Amino acid sequence: MGSSLRIVNGRVYDPANGVDGEVRDVCIRDGKIAADAPPDAKRIDAAGMVVMPGGVDIHCHIAGPKVNLARKVQPEDHRYDVHPRTRVTRSGTGGSVPSTFATGYRYAGLGYTTAMEAAVTPLGARHALEELHDTPVIDKGFYVLVGNNVLLYRLLQEGRLEEFRNALAWWIKVTKAYAPKLVNPGGDELWKGQRNANITSLDDKIGPFELTPRKVIAGFIEAATALGLPHPVHIHCNNLGHTGNVATTLETMRLAEGRRTHFAHVQFNSYGPAAGKSQTNPTSGAREIAEFVNTHPNISADVGAVMFGRSTIMTGDAPLAYMLRQFGGTKWVNADTENESGCGIVPFTYQDRVYTNAMQWAVGLELFLLSQDPWRMVFSTDHPNGGSFVTYPRLIRLLMDREFRKARMAEVNQKALDRSGLRDLSREYSLNEIAIVTRAGPARLLGLTRKGQLGVGADADVTIYEEDPDKEKMFSAPRYVIKDGELIIEDHEFRVDHEGRLLHVAPDFDPGIEQVIEPFFEDFYTIRFANYAVDDRYAPHHEIIPTAPQAAGARP
Amino acid sequence: MLLNGVLIEDTFAEAFTMRVARLLITARTPRWAKEAALKLTGFATSVIGCKCEAGIERELAADDTPDGRPGLSVLFLTMDKESLPQRLIERIGQTVLTCPTTACFDGLPDVPDRLPVGKALRAFGDGFQASKVVGDRRYWRIPVMEGEFLIEETFGMQKGVGGGNFLILAADADAALAAAEAAVEAMSGHPGVVLPFPGGVVRSGSKVGSKRYKKMVATTNDAFSPTLRAVTESQLPEGVNSVLEIVLDGTDGAAIESAMRLGIRAACRPGVKAISAGNFGGKLGPHHFHLRRILNGASPPPAV
Amino acid sequence: MSLAFTLRTPPTVPLEAEVLTPARLAGLSAPEAAKLSVVHGNERADLGEFFQVQGTADGGGAGEFRLTGDLSRVKHVGAGMADGRIVIHGSVGMHLGAEMTGGEIIVEGDAADWVGPEMTGGRIVIKGNAGHMVGAASRGSAVGVRGGEIVVFGNTGNEAGHGMRRGLVAIGGDAGDFAGVSMLAGTIVVLGSLGWRAGAGMRRGSIVTMHPVELLPTFSYACTYAPLYLRLLLARLRRLGLPVADAQVSGRYQRWSGDAVELNKGEVLILEA
Repeated sequence: MGSSLRIVNGRVYDPANGVDGEVRDVCIRDGKIAADAPPDAKRIDAAGMVVMPGGVDIHCHIAGPKVNLARKVQPEDHRYDVHPRTRVTRSGTGGSVPSTFATGYRYAGLGYTTAMEAAVTPLGARHALEELHDTPVIDKGFYVLVGNNVLLYRLLQEGRLEEFRNALAWWIKVTKAYAPKLVNPGGDELWKGQRNANITSLDDKIGPFELTPRKVIAGFIEAATALGLPHPVHIHCNNLGHTGNVATTLETMRLAEGRRTHFAHVQFNSYGPAAGKSQTNPTSGAREIAEFVNTHPNISADVGAVMFGRSTIMTGDAPLAYMLRQFGGTKWVNADTENESGCGIVPFTYQDRVYTNAMQWAVGLELFLLSQDPWRMVFSTDHPNGGSFVTYPRLIRLLMDREFRKARMAEVNQKALDRSGLRDLSREYSLNEIAIVTRAGPARLLGLTRKGQLGVGADADVTIYEEDPDKEKMFSAPRYVIKDGELIIEDHEFRVDHEGRLLHVAPDFDPGIEQVIEPFFEDFYTIRFANYAVDDRYAPHHEIIPTAPQAAGARP
Repeated sequence: MLLNGVLIEDTFAEAFTMRVARLLITARTPRWAKEAALKLTGFATSVIGCKCEAGIERELAADDTPDGRPGLSVLFLTMDKESLPQRLIERIGQTVLTCPTTACFDGLPDVPDRLPVGKALRAFGDGFQASKVVGDRRYWRIPVMEGEFLIEETFGMQKGVGGGNFLILAADADAALAAAEAAVEAMSGHPGVVLPFPGGVVRSGSKVGSKRYKKMVATTNDAFSPTLRAVTESQLPEGVNSVLEIVLDGTDGAAIESAMRLGIRAACRPGVKAISAGNFGGKLGPHHFHLRRILNGASPPPAV
Repeated sequence: MSLAFTLRTPPTVPLEAEVLTPARLAGLSAPEAAKLSVVHGNERADLGEFFQVQGTADGGGAGEFRLTGDLSRVKHVGAGMADGRIVIHGSVGMHLGAEMTGGEIIVEGDAADWVGPEMTGGRIVIKGNAGHMVGAASRGSAVGVRGGEIVVFGNTGNEAGHGMRRGLVAIGGDAGDFAGVSMLAGTIVVLGSLGWRAGAGMRRGSIVTMHPVELLPTFSYACTYAPLYLRLLLARLRRLGLPVADAQVSGRYQRWSGDAVELNKGEVLILEA
């Protein structure tokens, strides 16, 4: 940590500080960006290179029980993708769901230094934390699944809103989570209780509860806002993946009523009604969603773009996994997490000739290209659902290189393309915009004030890419990656290993809430209450991000 | 030229290029292989009226068949390559598939041109059929009431020769028939050749078209009909009172030629005046079998 | 003469020798072949550290070569080969002929687990016994052998023909448990006896055995008959050298359909005593 660095001659992209491609020095001292560096500081000559903050992935699936199930269910996916050890790094396996070590190194190898695991059941928190601990280089955190939680439903149903808020805070804190996550609110609860049941609208009754998804979502937004969490409620909407779901998505967005709310992988929730003779082939709803986000500064989203090829559907949305499983008829995993959530895993391949897959690909690109505020429509593939994070460089090229995009468009299902709006879009992302959607934007949406920027005092997470007209090549292999001031990758090679931090929040709650939660545990859980909370040993390197009232859509 | 005192006329048989497949039909006993083969090759005398020509080539011992059971080989010919699979599918489906204990294998496995015959017939299995690859050949197992019908997925198709022939001109009907029987006997089992007509013999040789009826494609060969000697332009030598024809189809010209040699020699017996052949002036068929040239060649039948 | 490898120093831990294919050795001299890289345990090594190499590889395309000695720790021999021939005098280790597409491997000895996993063509003949997973799908794969022939004169372990889609696995001796588990199609013939749960989860395909066997309850008896294709198949096995009796060729077999938990289009044929 004590080392100092001075990066000179690089073109710096630091949108959070209004720096758009200026050639200037970046100095590092004691793991932070500094105004200056001592004369004997190691110098990196970044001439002909681009300097950016380290990448921040706001939504991915990289750790926890479901990720491990996905690894176990498809050994064939790892077989030809061995990640060998080096002098300084450990070995692992790749494929669409890499092992923990490979995940950390591969993220770092793309210039990413922070990633958020987006769905962990409270019961799986301990497992997730152990895996995150084994995920090297990057800083990381996770969102805890609370949207199908039986006790929270009971409190909400009975109108015990203060207890509801306290219980939510308790769950976030004792699991060491970063944000509350809702996945198909009500859907899993219904699915677990009735054969092949799922929520189809915000006003469906959720099984035995006098609740609807509308009530549940509004309740969580209310409570999370009151808790002052740095990242708001992170929502995987109802009807995800279903044709015509754009109406549900817009209705859900309206529920935010001006409060900060994040919508995950909206691509999967931006499908218009079926077109032509087909009952199921969706049209694109990207324009409606993009317009809503553009005009509502309290709303943010990550795209969840689909990239063709092998992926793994990995979701807390168990009924969705069942639906997808019917297409391929191959192996899958469905798991039920006691009173907390559901889980489904389906190995999947997106094919460019398949109408629906081509439409999904087009909708993802449309959302990017129609977005007027890159700070609020940020980069993701919902790794590994829409595609592995290793496809990010290609996705960047699709956004930055119109000709490349056109060439690819010529190869996909043309009927789908005809019914999307992609042909009308000629926009190309600038490097500054890429820096926003992959770094500055997600960091700001996460409330990580020291990430995604290169101002003095920021975490010294820096990526240096060699400029190349082929943006896929450029973003595939940074020349240098610096994490917490340490030169992790130099000349494309790992020089040292590094252990990143767990990022989590610890919202305050009234300790009395434990008197409400404990009896429920003793009655219905397989684990004793006393054993449930995750203690600090599971987070040896961690950083608590403070909670405070958050202004909707605020910009520094 | 005289052979056993029989005049070999200086003429030639004119034959056509056809498409041919060879089927090996096996069964529990030789009898049931034959029952199937007779039905399969029944009503397959001439493409003029039957759309195909076929005959039994030879009997096969158990050791010579793919499944180690007794069987027969059959040659099956059509004028064009499109109709050969159609005729095979119709006929095998109605005659071999239906016949107890039989199986049907391809007799031209090395030929590159493949006809999807078993592949089409498998649909009779209504989804219950199953395929099986043994070595590098694929078979279809079609469930039937008796048990299972086994047929090869594809059959080879190659160019063959149809319409090789010779005419036996005899002093009377008895002599003509005896000579024809002797000729058929001599040619039977000859590799690569079948005689598609009843017992291998035709009494009603035809000419192309009609002198009287516009719609008739073929009518009686009046030039060789003894009763018309006085009313038509007869080609019958003096003393000839009955004529029978032998028609040969085969896998290639050499087989036809070799079989004709055996047949003509056997036909040259007492009571036969001359051996002639049918042709159309040499303008219609690419294959010409000159009788005298054939008989001068002393080659034995080609080895299989 | 073709290349001949004699094991001089038996490896103490598994030796991964996927370089031992006709294509990789084509045109090499003995010293060149000895320089080929293998992995011994977790360390790189030269082939020549373990084998004495003599002769010269056959010119032109893929030829033939010989391996002699106890190669039971030498893995991946012939993996991925497309043509040519390998003759092994001795026993051989795991993953023999894995994913091969053509050519032939003859083992005058025993083979370890994973003979010919996911092969698509060619032939492997084991004169002795073979381990588990003969002609199987690699773990996680839905499809195993897609073509070719594996002939084991002796016994095999469990899961022979796991997930196979096409091709032939012929076993002269006994097969372990789960023969033909999850097979999609293809043929498994066991001249000896079958272990437990043969054909579990099979969709299509045939498992043939010459000894009585108790099947899973999801298999149903259909009839007793003499399947004609078996005559072709058994004749083929005879040509490959397996001791097929006349009574097996002309015998009557019980046909059991299964597995009813899957398509139920598979069959187990059991010779009637």
